[in-house]
Amino acid sequence: MEVKVLFFGVLAEVSGTTFKHYQDVRSMGDLKLRIQDDYPEIVHYNFRVSLNSEITDEDSTLKSGDEVALMPPFAGG
Amino acid sequence: MEKNYLIHGPVSKEIISKLIERMGVQTDCGGHMFFLGQVRADEIDGKKVKAIEYSAYEEMVFAVAEKIKKTILSEFEDAKSVEIFHSTGVVNAGEISLLVFVSAGHRQQAMLACSKTVELIKENLPVWKKEIFEDDTHIWK
Repeated sequence: MEVKVLFFGVLAEVSGTTFKHYQDVRSMGDLKLRIQDDYPEIVHYNFRVSLNSEITDEDSTLKSGDEVALMPPFAGG
Repeated sequence: MEKNYLIHGPVSKEIISKLIERMGVQTDCGGHMFFLGQVRADEIDGKKVKAIEYSAYEEMVFAVAEKIKKTILSEFEDAKSVEIFHSTGVVNAGEISLLVFVSAGHRQQAMLACSKTVELIKENLPVWKKEIFEDDTHIWK
């Protein structure tokens, strides 16, 4: 299975990318640890997470094709 | 057709003109309210902002903007229509990056609904901004 992770705002700059695919991640918690392993500096930033465009703070089970976004505080307008 | 709430670059005079033209056919409305958000040339630590570069989570912007419109139209019974346009990409200081246009039967509902729409956008629309200074350095807001 594969999920797509999107990085927005300052997190795209910190990670040096706007997206990355992760294979064989079971849950959101599992995915967050994998992301932190790849980009340790990300823990210094405040952000929320969405699953398929819905903000969530649950440790949801992930399935193939899911899209997870890491979103710093919104700053529109 | 799926409505697009995001436009690349600044909100143009043409978009504003089209909305003003449309007012003439909304004869059930007694009040129209525009909010135009402009990029400010702030000075931070002695450096002046020359532009803002906006980025957005496009799919989520669509869902959130639809929800905001629905909320406003149900909360303000007199509101007849809500239009939202937000910029992506670079918008220079002095240019418009957000347009909200609310039409209602009466002025008070038009003003209140417009104000509430802007606040909901600020809180919920997945948009980020990078302030670019005259020396081409930047900060994230």
